[in-house]
Amino acid sequence: MCQIIYNPQYKKYNLGANHPFDHARVEMVIDLMKELGYLKEMIVPDIASIDEILTIHGNDYVSAVEDASLGKQVNDLEKFGLGTFDNPVVEGMAEGARYQTGGTILGAQILLENKAKKVLQLGGGFHHAHKNLAAGFCLYNDLAAAIKKMTGAGWHVAYLDIDVHHGDGVHEAFYSDENVMCISFHESGEYLFPGTGWIHELGKGMGRSLKLNVPLEPFTEGESYIEVLKGIAEPALKWFKPDAVVIQAGADAHFSDPLADLMLTTQDFEIIFKTIIQIVDEYCNGRALFTLGGGYSITAASRIWSILYMTLLGFDIPEKIPEEWRAKWEAKIGKKIPESFYDLLPAFEPIPRKDEINRHNKELIRRVMDAVAGDWI
Amino acid sequence: MLIREVMKTDLTIISPETKLNDAYALMLGRKIRHLPVVEDENLIGVVTDRDLRLATSKLSEQPFDPEIQVRKIMKYPVRTAHPSDPIELATRLMRELKIGCMPVLEESKLVGMVTTSDLLDALLLLTGVHQPSGRLDIRLPNRSGELARLASLLAGHKINIHSILTYPDNERNVRLVLRIDTIEIKFIAQEICNAGFQVIWPPHIACVK
Ligand SMILES: [Zn+2]
Repeated sequence: MCQIIYNPQYKKYNLGANHPFDHARVEMVIDLMKELGYLKEMIVPDIASIDEILTIHGNDYVSAVEDASLGKQVNDLEKFGLGTFDNPVVEGMAEGARYQTGGTILGAQILLENKAKKVLQLGGGFHHAHKNLAAGFCLYNDLAAAIKKMTGAGWHVAYLDIDVHHGDGVHEAFYSDENVMCISFHESGEYLFPGTGWIHELGKGMGRSLKLNVPLEPFTEGESYIEVLKGIAEPALKWFKPDAVVIQAGADAHFSDPLADLMLTTQDFEIIFKTIIQIVDEYCNGRALFTLGGGYSITAASRIWSILYMTLLGFDIPEKIPEEWRAKWEAKIGKKIPESFYDLLPAFEPIPRKDEINRHNKELIRRVMDAVAGDWI
Repeated sequence: MLIREVMKTDLTIISPETKLNDAYALMLGRKIRHLPVVEDENLIGVVTDRDLRLATSKLSEQPFDPEIQVRKIMKYPVRTAHPSDPIELATRLMRELKIGCMPVLEESKLVGMVTTSDLLDALLLLTGVHQPSGRLDIRLPNRSGELARLASLLAGHKINIHSILTYPDNERNVRLVLRIDTIEIKFIAQEICNAGFQVIWPPHIACVK
């Protein structure tokens, strides 16, 4: 059974018109599932309290975010990464961020109480929020707050991040925590924001060799991605045997995403989701909390998260996206929506360096495994 | 970047009367490889772990007794650096002389030590990622005002520049690698391209002419 979590108040996390973090992405998923008759009851989470936010973030930072969000004058905004190009100050943003965090925390609660084995939180995934720094569209780290909730109850938790960007905020929060394994698959930080997530970033102290980073080459395609995902996530979770897995299911590794350079198709995402579920069922008590994340091609992200929804709830993926639905949303977003959940193949021109990229990625499996071998005993 | 910014100042100093085995124990205990030898407040030599090991090795023709004084084996005269030397000067000298450390003297007084490790730390500081940021690689015409034009374009978008690396590209251009605090690298690359700069990374940015 998969429980869906959603609150219309998530919409309050709005970073302004034309900002790529667009709430329409989620509304499209829900509306499309409704259209297909797939919509299940969705639990509405409470807003996260300030105390819950303070389990992850510093006092001064939270005050700055909350005050700025209320339109109050705040000194040193930039010190906290606020009022910048990526994280402009928008009224109500703190409230919106706390609603989203509340949803992810509720997801943790549902798993802890064994009310469901799978949870899909139709929001959250703010993996770039640091203890005292807003970055990359993220204010409050909902993922870290949910993971903390579970480790607080004595659980071992794995965090799996397939967003195209390094999950730096979550890694930082648990860098020396022996109860949390973090695995991030992302485009190499040599090229992409935030610039971290290198193989040698393995965790500190008791958390050593529990933080894995897989920096994939730009223009990596699905086949290579999935090979590396299986080659690393499977042995890692098999060894760590967590009580639950939190998955940041960002959709920005899609080939059409305007922010990055990986080349996954929606077909690849389906295989990725199924692979993750299979690993979770085999080695992690079947417990998984999926959140959304990045995904800035609105027509790709909405299809990818619809595929995630249908995969988790065991619905068949229809051949076509209903035409009326497409017409309605095309008018709203001013973009052409593909006729199918799946991308038309070939989806892009052949990548000239493909063989070299695949070889490099394959090496990553060996390099990551070699790096942790001494500690995984 | 100056030597004073990278040198170590918490020094372990020995006198020329120190025995080889004591000097070696000191190095092991403090995890260091170089000891400045000081007499009457003057630097008179340097001894490295390699000097000690070679001097006492059974493989050498006439191994020294570990009980003798470092005075017998220390290297002198010593090439030194000044706190206000640029690090590239010290780096070049250390590479030329094939040495791993330089004592830093100011008015003839020992004030610090700089080793290859300190210079590697400096390299990391110059090239590393210290805050979440994206990377831009730009070819810039080698003439005055171009960098200022680029910087003001970024400032106009409230984007902070975390670091800049430049190196010569060819006669007329320089390459510029910037780390800037935005996740929206492609958007800003497009703007930069439209403003007439040549963007090398991210790739496939089509400029509006
Ligand atoms: Zn992302």
